Amino acid sequence: MREEDRQYFERLESQLDEAFDVAEAARENSGDPQPEVEIPVAKDMADRVENILGIEGVAERVRELEGQMSREEAALELAKDFAEGNVGDYDSRDGKVEGAVRTAVALLTEGVVAAPIEGIDRVEILTNDDGTEFVNVYYAGPIRSAGGTAQALSVLVADYTRALIGVDEYKARNDEIERYAEEINLYDSETGLQYSPKDKESKFIAENIPVMLDGEATGDEEVSGFRDLERVDTNSTRGGMCLVLAEGIALKAPKIQRYTRNLDEIDWPWLQDLIDGTIGKDDGTEESEAEADDSEGGDEGDKAEEEAESDEPDGPLRVKPATKFLRDLIAGRPVFTHPSEAGGFRLRYGRARNHGFATAGVHPATMHLVDDFLATGTQIKTERPGKAAGVIPVDTIEGPTVRLANGDVRRIDDVEEALEVRNGVKKILDLGEYLVNYGEFVENNHPLAPASYTFEWWVQDFEHSGANVQAMQDNPHVDLEDPSIEEALDWAVEYDAPLHPNYTYLWHDISVAEFALLADAVEAGEVRDGRLHIENADDVRIALEHLLLEHWQGEEIEISAWKPFVRALGFDDDLNRKWDGIDDLSRKAREWGKVGDENEDESGTNAIEAVNEVAPFTVRERAPTRIGNRMGRPEKSEKRELSPAVHTLFPLGEAGGDQRDVAKAAKHTEGMSGVRGQAELRIGRRECEACGSLTFKCKCPDCGDNTYPDYECPDCGTTVEPDQSGRAECPRCEILATSVEPQTVNLNEEYRNALESVGERENVFDTLKGVKGLTSAHKTPEPIEKGILRAKHGVSAFKDGTIRYDMTDLPVTSVRPAELDVSADRLRALGYDEDVHGEPFRHDDQLVELRVQDIVLSDGAAKHLLKTADFVDNLLTDYYGLDPFYEMEEREELVGELVFGMAPHTSAAVVGRIIGFTSAAVGYAHPYFHAAKRRNCDGDEDCVMLLMDGLLNFSKEFLPDKRGGQMDAPLVMSSRIDPTEIDDEAHNMDIVDQYPREFYEATLEMADPEDVDITIAEDYLGTDEEYTNFRHTHDTSNIALGPDLSAYKTLGSMMDKMNAQLELARKTRAVDQTDVAERVIEGHFLPDLIGNLRAFSRQETRCLDCGVKYRRMPLSGDCRECGGRVNLTVHQGSVNKYMDTAIQVADEYDCREYTKQRLQILDRSLESVFENDKNKQSGIADFM
Amino acid sequence: MPLETPARIVRELTSRGYNADREAVTLLANAPDPDGALDEAVESAPEHALKISVEHVRNVLDSSPSENEDDFAPDNTSISTGTKNTESSVEGVTTPVETGGSVSRNDALQSVGIDGDVTGQSTGTGEYDDFVTVFRDRFQRLSGQLRGRVNARPTNAVASMPSGSDAAMVGMISDIRSTASGHWLVELEDTNGTFPCLIMKDKEFAGVVNELLLDETIAVEGTLSSDAGILFVDSIHFPDVPRTYKPSTADRHVQAALISDVHVGSQEFMADAWSRFTSWLHTDEAEHVEYLLIAGDMVEGVGIYPNQDEELDIIDIFEQYEKFSEYLKEVPGDLEIVMIPGNHDAVRLAEPQPGFDEELRDIMDVHDARITGNPSTVTIENVSVLMYHGVSLDEVIAEMPEEKASYEEPHKAMYQLLKKRHVAPQYGGHTRVAPEEKDYLVIDEVPDIFHTGHVHKLGFGKYHNVLAMNSGCWQSQTDFQKSVNINPDSGFAPIVDLDTLDVTVRKFA
Repeated sequence: MREEDRQYFERLESQLDEAFDVAEAARENSGDPQPEVEIPVAKDMADRVENILGIEGVAERVRELEGQMSREEAALELAKDFAEGNVGDYDSRDGKVEGAVRTAVALLTEGVVAAPIEGIDRVEILTNDDGTEFVNVYYAGPIRSAGGTAQALSVLVADYTRALIGVDEYKARNDEIERYAEEINLYDSETGLQYSPKDKESKFIAENIPVMLDGEATGDEEVSGFRDLERVDTNSTRGGMCLVLAEGIALKAPKIQRYTRNLDEIDWPWLQDLIDGTIGKDDGTEESEAEADDSEGGDEGDKAEEEAESDEPDGPLRVKPATKFLRDLIAGRPVFTHPSEAGGFRLRYGRARNHGFATAGVHPATMHLVDDFLATGTQIKTERPGKAAGVIPVDTIEGPTVRLANGDVRRIDDVEEALEVRNGVKKILDLGEYLVNYGEFVENNHPLAPASYTFEWWVQDFEHSGANVQAMQDNPHVDLEDPSIEEALDWAVEYDAPLHPNYTYLWHDISVAEFALLADAVEAGEVRDGRLHIENADDVRIALEHLLLEHWQGEEIEISAWKPFVRALGFDDDLNRKWDGIDDLSRKAREWGKVGDENEDESGTNAIEAVNEVAPFTVRERAPTRIGNRMGRPEKSEKRELSPAVHTLFPLGEAGGDQRDVAKAAKHTEGMSGVRGQAELRIGRRECEACGSLTFKCKCPDCGDNTYPDYECPDCGTTVEPDQSGRAECPRCEILATSVEPQTVNLNEEYRNALESVGERENVFDTLKGVKGLTSAHKTPEPIEKGILRAKHGVSAFKDGTIRYDMTDLPVTSVRPAELDVSADRLRALGYDEDVHGEPFRHDDQLVELRVQDIVLSDGAAKHLLKTADFVDNLLTDYYGLDPFYEMEEREELVGELVFGMAPHTSAAVVGRIIGFTSAAVGYAHPYFHAAKRRNCDGDEDCVMLLMDGLLNFSKEFLPDKRGGQMDAPLVMSSRIDPTEIDDEAHNMDIVDQYPREFYEATLEMADPEDVDITIAEDYLGTDEEYTNFRHTHDTSNIALGPDLSAYKTLGSMMDKMNAQLELARKTRAVDQTDVAERVIEGHFLPDLIGNLRAFSRQETRCLDCGVKYRRMPLSGDCRECGGRVNLTVHQGSVNKYMDTAIQVADEYDCREYTKQRLQILDRSLESVFENDKNKQSGIADFM
Repeated sequence: MPLETPARIVRELTSRGYNADREAVTLLANAPDPDGALDEAVESAPEHALKISVEHVRNVLDSSPSENEDDFAPDNTSISTGTKNTESSVEGVTTPVETGGSVSRNDALQSVGIDGDVTGQSTGTGEYDDFVTVFRDRFQRLSGQLRGRVNARPTNAVASMPSGSDAAMVGMISDIRSTASGHWLVELEDTNGTFPCLIMKDKEFAGVVNELLLDETIAVEGTLSSDAGILFVDSIHFPDVPRTYKPSTADRHVQAALISDVHVGSQEFMADAWSRFTSWLHTDEAEHVEYLLIAGDMVEGVGIYPNQDEELDIIDIFEQYEKFSEYLKEVPGDLEIVMIPGNHDAVRLAEPQPGFDEELRDIMDVHDARITGNPSTVTIENVSVLMYHGVSLDEVIAEMPEEKASYEEPHKAMYQLLKKRHVAPQYGGHTRVAPEEKDYLVIDEVPDIFHTGHVHKLGFGKYHNVLAMNSGCWQSQTDFQKSVNINPDSGFAPIVDLDTLDVTVRKFA
């Protein structure tokens, strides 16, 4: 590790330590459930594994083993330790297996995700029919987050440990085997599996697997055969088990085999049959069907390659259009480009500094011209290389080309200009470039798609053809990137290099016939005032538009940059044609890209070969690959609030009303004889360790000491002490003891005392909201004081007591202080002293490389964290009686403060440091920071918490006592990021400042990305360079450009969004508006109408007064409970609200008859159900 | 054929382990339905008999087929009857359709009356009160059928009776639950409220619980519990069809063909089988067939399931009906045709379904077919036929144990509907309800024939002398049916003698 990196981490850690000291002091003797901070710090993966599991000694052993062997081998080694009792304090054999299995999963998931604690319910030792014993592992749904390999290895570890402790293998009964097969199919149809094993495979695995896979019911759907089995508790699907068997064992068999081979104790010879795929092969038809399905879903790229190759003699290599991204199109979320459609986004290779890791670079002018539907962070579903990407603004690529109302056809490369002309845009002829980095193709294992001809490629071609590029770059009179027409033409001829991309038009998008047509038009045209004037005919105009040649359409068509155009058409500057006509061309040029062989006379669809035959220089294909995409989710930057919002995790029962209002609960009187403010609540009983008083509070009201849950056996009433693992089991009744009991609490008193203790009056907040009841195991309430202060500062709590803010994740590797609204001085104070070029860092517009744990907050997040800081300070002074910690006036003061970053489905927070702010509604951070949280940037979102808020207010005792309750809670925090311990997707990011010429040429062959040599982050892992040198090929002037918010979020109703979506489809050349309308109707309106109509005719009813629901209308008419008025839950209005719009859209966008008829039939059905045949109100005429 | 049949009958009997008297074989061969008769004979043969005797066959032939609950399902019996008929119908194909009229039927004797048709009478506007009206109407009409049989009291009166007293109630089932100890708790509702009834698992009639459907109306008798909060049930009564029910019959020998589920427009529509059928109708053999009843699903429809357009032969719904109309023209003009819509037809799905609207009627007017709602009661020459498409059969089959209702024996599901005297009792599940001023789905009068389709399975039998007929379909197995292993009975035309209610099944596929 470099010295500066060491300093950086030490700085973060000492800052963290300081905060820790404050928090420890605050919590030592407070009303918090535990007298210490409950988020342990983990310096490395070993720490995280130990902390997440709560098994002592694991970390040490992991560190010992880490240097010597792979993580998988370490997991097996640890299993041995567990079996021998060297690690973990387990007496029972099932405990040993459980410990080993959990540890293995934790180790393989790097101690970040919740799978090891939430995904494995328990391990049991049961008896086979022959009297021997076997191990049964209970999986639960969250095992999903572990991934297939860890799931499969967990079974292997269970088996290994079983063998070591001398338990026999599982011998499945026949009905159990059949049950596995049936259940997996059911789960697959209900929830879906990545890999669906055939029945034979499932049964084969079940027969052979040496430990029993079991689990909790996760779905409502029940199996129909093989029910009520003795050793299977449920008739519902067991999701965890299905995942482990299908996506674990069946899919990852080769990986498991690598490890079984090296172990003497266990033997899984049957894996070979799985790997060979001989299981279930003999029913041949099924197999081929499955294969057909696979290829349909998956490797479209591969298929494209094959198909394209067979076409090769007659046309260029192209990727095959893939339509999958269009599926499930949503109303109001527009399509930007239909699959590989001309006029759509043009693939350009490169990585901008705010790019990589499942993102897509789009020009900000495009963002505005697609009616603001794209903003920084908006998710798009894309055709390739991945499935989805987060949109980022890059203004060093080309913008869109549009036709304006005044006849101007021009490219818009400037945001100002885009905003100026946007109302005059008649047609979006081209959406501009779409930047994708090489690493994306590596990550998705997608063959490289043919590259656009761009400056970065051309300049290498130019140099290759002998030009002294270095000298020209140094010459102030030459602008290589934007040369004059004459220069470009000269270079092309003189050096025999391909024509500069600026003057290369999209000849491949016009047909050979159109090419000939343009030649004729030019021949008949003339040059006046330095502009070429040609006839304005429809076909000529369309061909020019498709070339993306800027021009003006008036009486005649006028072209300014006409020279490269006429040269490419085989004319000289005096408009003399050098060739005769289409028959003059070679057959190859004439028929290039021809579709089908039927018509001998037909000419090709691609004029590029014709150009190269008649032009005096080489012309490359400008944009051979177009990438289809549509809008996915909008970007997000919002505070996380429970619904309804909660200020304090204090239970009110029914007393708080629907609003859960504490003040109202304090005034509530139950019944005639109730005492004001008194309520009976289910709440935990705690005992003071000093004086022994019983209370529900965490701080003894009598002596002020800390209290702990007091367990009592629900059957015999014995007081039970919990064991080391925290389980309290009654020794006599052998059932779990509990501390929860109904207690009478005077809410009024509690509320008034709390107000008094923090010195606040009721008028500092609008409402103070509590919860109805507590869902945690001990039902430990939070002190109301904390809620009062939260309400005062306008923040609310998440289920674990923390205050959170959600943002869409985006990556950035270098930043400018100016764009972050901070000064260079401020960043220098945080340890930034050199810019990316190694120059001293002085100015606000210098680019510096971002540190791995530094993050950029959205404006909204900054505002929210400021409020949180005020709350924390208030809490420290008035509740804990300490000095304030933050003391902030301006948001600038947040810079340098630490936060927690934390993603859903994980249980580990990552410490980050704020270094600036952006107006984009996203959270920008180093890709490694996101990867440490197990996120990529394809539209994922996660949250930040202010450090001190987490330290002070988080408690495990608030977490819901149900499956998944521990997910999304910071059970442990990583203080520093180790690049080898993050999601390896981030390692595939390329970190160079230029792609080599060979790369671009390889794309034309659609080479495998692995076959090209470009440095990716992985290459630096484990070296001193692992935290640095993330270079980029494209800069952007600001990481927040384009609209701040997607139109999807600013438009009001669904109808407005949909109208905007259809309007955009209408004016975008690359979008088939009818297809969009069809998809919206078929995917949105029709299901909605049909679903609502169905729901109407079999609906429940509900009492308007007491809320009781009836499956069927009561015969009495009125509510049977309260006599109140009962009404429908689905009304006519909600059934047919979209009918008229749908019919109108179908007409306007010329949908096919089938769709129109479906609507028509539905319309008649609605009429038939909701209109009285004998009293039809057809129109005003009836009343005249 | 006369030569072949006896030989085949001997073979068939041998394969089932019987010998037979020569005379018995002749008798069987000459029976109107040799295979059916053979089945019956074998069925009713004394347990240890090795030989089928003449007397035996005579007995069978005399009693058959009006035995009380004789069932038919094509898989075990009369398909082979069909073989014979297929041959005859193949001959029929050679008869050109144009020469139709070679057989002539006497219009003057034909009569068709329609009752219970919702078409043009749909007055509901989808309000809450409309729903309440429908269910109250159902309850009142069905409880009326039951009141005479028990000394019923309203639920609120039962609730105030002293513990231990005997009580009876008539109610609509609002809930069925099993208790922890395996007994059944059935909640009965009337216009005054609800009352829980407990059916003990060890009662001899406890088996009937799995026949119960939500929202059907039943009567119970029993004893109140010690706290008077629950009724221990001693007996259950259904509205039912009287065992002694005597169906009306036609005064002359006349027949009706009962079909359904034509599915024109589907790629699987069996045009050839249909043409063989219609050609046969032109032959002398079919001279007594004067009525054609079609119980829904004339066409395949549009948008019935996702991506249906990819499997349609005719994508345009109106063209589907035009094509259907073309096929209908093949039917001799002197047949009376009655049609109701099904779930694939272009009318509302919610039941009762009105008949086709004017636009569709215009398309199908060539044959002057009578179009009525689903369900409707059609009386042809004294014989009342309750026509119902049969969407509720899916639910009955799903809810009940296999021996009581299955796709293999769809008529048994129909018996359940007759027993409950309602064509679609359960609310809130498969069947959709459109509220009207009365419940059109109640079976007020016992029909002589109950005719349904929908499940694409042929099955018929008699329930308390009512002929329940589920006709098959004219669509071969679809991909979907294949995927769920449903084998439809395609291309059958059951022919009913209206003077005896005897059934002959003709196969055309």
